[in-house]
Amino acid sequence: MTESAAVILCVDDEPNSLVLRKLVLQKAGYEVITASSATQALDLLARQQVDLVLSDQLMPGQTGTQLARQIKNSWPALPVILISGVNEIPPDASVADVFMSKVEGPVAMCDKVRAVLAASNFPRH
Amino acid sequence: MNAHDKVNILMVDDQPAKLLSYEAILGELGENLIKALSGREALEVLLKTDVAVVLMDVSMPEMDGFEIAEIIRQHPRFQKTAIIFISAVHLTELDRLKGYQRGAVDYISVPVVPEVLRAKVTLFAELHRKRRQLEALNRDLEARVLERTEKLQESETQFRTLANSIPQLAWIANSGGDAFWFNQRWYDYTGTTLEDVGGAGWHKLHHPDHLARVIKGLEHSWQTGEPWEDTFPLRGHDGEYRWFLSRTVPLFDSHGNITRWFGTCTDISRQMAAEEALRKNERLAAMGRVAGIIAHEINNPLEAITNAFYLLESHPSLDKDARSLARMASEELARISHITRQSLSFYRESQQAVPVSVATVLDDVLELQARHFRISGVELDKAYKSNQLILAYPAELKQVFLNLVGNALQAMPAGGRLRVTVRETAERGRVPRGIRVSVCDTGSGIRPEDAKRLFEPFFTTKSTKGTGLGLWISKGIVQKYDGTIKFRSLKLSTGSSTCFSVFIPGTVSAHPSDASALTGVM
Repeated sequence: MTESAAVILCVDDEPNSLVLRKLVLQKAGYEVITASSATQALDLLARQQVDLVLSDQLMPGQTGTQLARQIKNSWPALPVILISGVNEIPPDASVADVFMSKVEGPVAMCDKVRAVLAASNFPRH
Repeated sequence: MNAHDKVNILMVDDQPAKLLSYEAILGELGENLIKALSGREALEVLLKTDVAVVLMDVSMPEMDGFEIAEIIRQHPRFQKTAIIFISAVHLTELDRLKGYQRGAVDYISVPVVPEVLRAKVTLFAELHRKRRQLEALNRDLEARVLERTEKLQESETQFRTLANSIPQLAWIANSGGDAFWFNQRWYDYTGTTLEDVGGAGWHKLHHPDHLARVIKGLEHSWQTGEPWEDTFPLRGHDGEYRWFLSRTVPLFDSHGNITRWFGTCTDISRQMAAEEALRKNERLAAMGRVAGIIAHEINNPLEAITNAFYLLESHPSLDKDARSLARMASEELARISHITRQSLSFYRESQQAVPVSVATVLDDVLELQARHFRISGVELDKAYKSNQLILAYPAELKQVFLNLVGNALQAMPAGGRLRVTVRETAERGRVPRGIRVSVCDTGSGIRPEDAKRLFEPFFTTKSTKGTGLGLWISKGIVQKYDGTIKFRSLKLSTGSSTCFSVFIPGTVSAHPSDASALTGVM
């Protein structure tokens, strides 16, 4: 049986950033769905199976770490990667599986996504 | 002598009987009666005793009373001694007048009327008593004046000692504003003498930009009597100007008139320097906050653009030239990313330092560089001899190690060995133990002429890559932890080796599982 592509939920309040990140992930072979806020993200997660969440940290409303905490409450094994524009790491960053900087570049981002998925025990659809 | 002391009355008569009769008459006065039978005896008594009044018999055998009186009066001490002449001879008015004019003289005619004798003697006796009392009072007053003068001098000395020991420069001016006294500190600071600065001489110590304003302010005070305050630079003996806060207040006499002006100058240069430093700190803190905001504002669009060009680089609809352009843009964007990561994360945000496992941070950094290791063919040799935690900001440590490992890898483009060690140790001469991390490469080494400048900003030995900020920033971070960063470059027969070592003092005795190090699934 061929393995289908992993589904990644990409969250960011900036539309351009969101689209470009989605395209990069798609180029790397993933299926991508998007959300513009933590609320939207949680909504999508309730209705759809997702293999990894890649979220921006600083968003209006709930931050990435707050979203990560909520995700881990409901789906403890669902991996979450937080990607941030700020160079300093917030104190509660460890709630996510990985906290990375946007400045690390698309290749590093894809590397981390691949590594996290490989290590993940989360049930695949 | 007080009001009740006895005075001495000298009675001169050659006839003892007469003396006895006078004694009888004057006895009830209660004064001291002394008898003399001749002019000579009288003088002897006068020289030994303080006599209030002399009763002089005019008709005496050797010299008459008037002649004796003349002799007595020649002596400077006895020029005003009261003499009552007892005369049987009727004196002319003219003679009496002469006597009265000479002063301290009276006449009693024979036969002597006791009441008259008593009255006249009493008069002179009282006069004498009063005079002696006045003299005593005078002496008393003089003694008091002396005492007061001494006290005043003591007070002056106290004032001078005080004025010369206070840290301020002090001065006193008369009511017209002419300075006539300066304390020792003034002379010490300005290197002047009273001659140089008295009157209006102090003008020359003021900075030309401020002198006019200071003079105007002071003159206003001299005229209105209002205290004055101002801040200005004053030239010291070394020619340098320092800032002083100067105040002057008037001193009033008991009638409310201004007698003097008393002024002080307080050196506020250190205070101003502290204020300037505080302002600088605040500016730096503000810059830090702004830098944080800028970092975020730049990083977001930077990522978007980087992603866009990354996609364009391999976009099927672009020809080779267009994709080449996209690739060049990507390279330039990578440089920008490199710079923002380095320089903008230099400022600490207000967070708590947390127990950090240095070993874990190093592992994260090495993992981040894993591809670089593979591409360059560099072997990794890890020797972590300590699991100790230190109180730190994980991002800052990561920054430093990333810089050191990155530099080491760049020094070995054609392969080599990277040795990373973590050790718990104490710096020589230091009490707190700490963690030492060394990163050693087998690269081309550091030239001696570069060694001195290695930690300078914008200094780089790499021809194309690098901002030249990495080591400067790393050093800054390490110093914030009171730590040290050193390097050693050796040339061996087998090649060269460069080791950078970082020491951070202080270890935290926390359980390694408490460490909130970077988490990474690697």
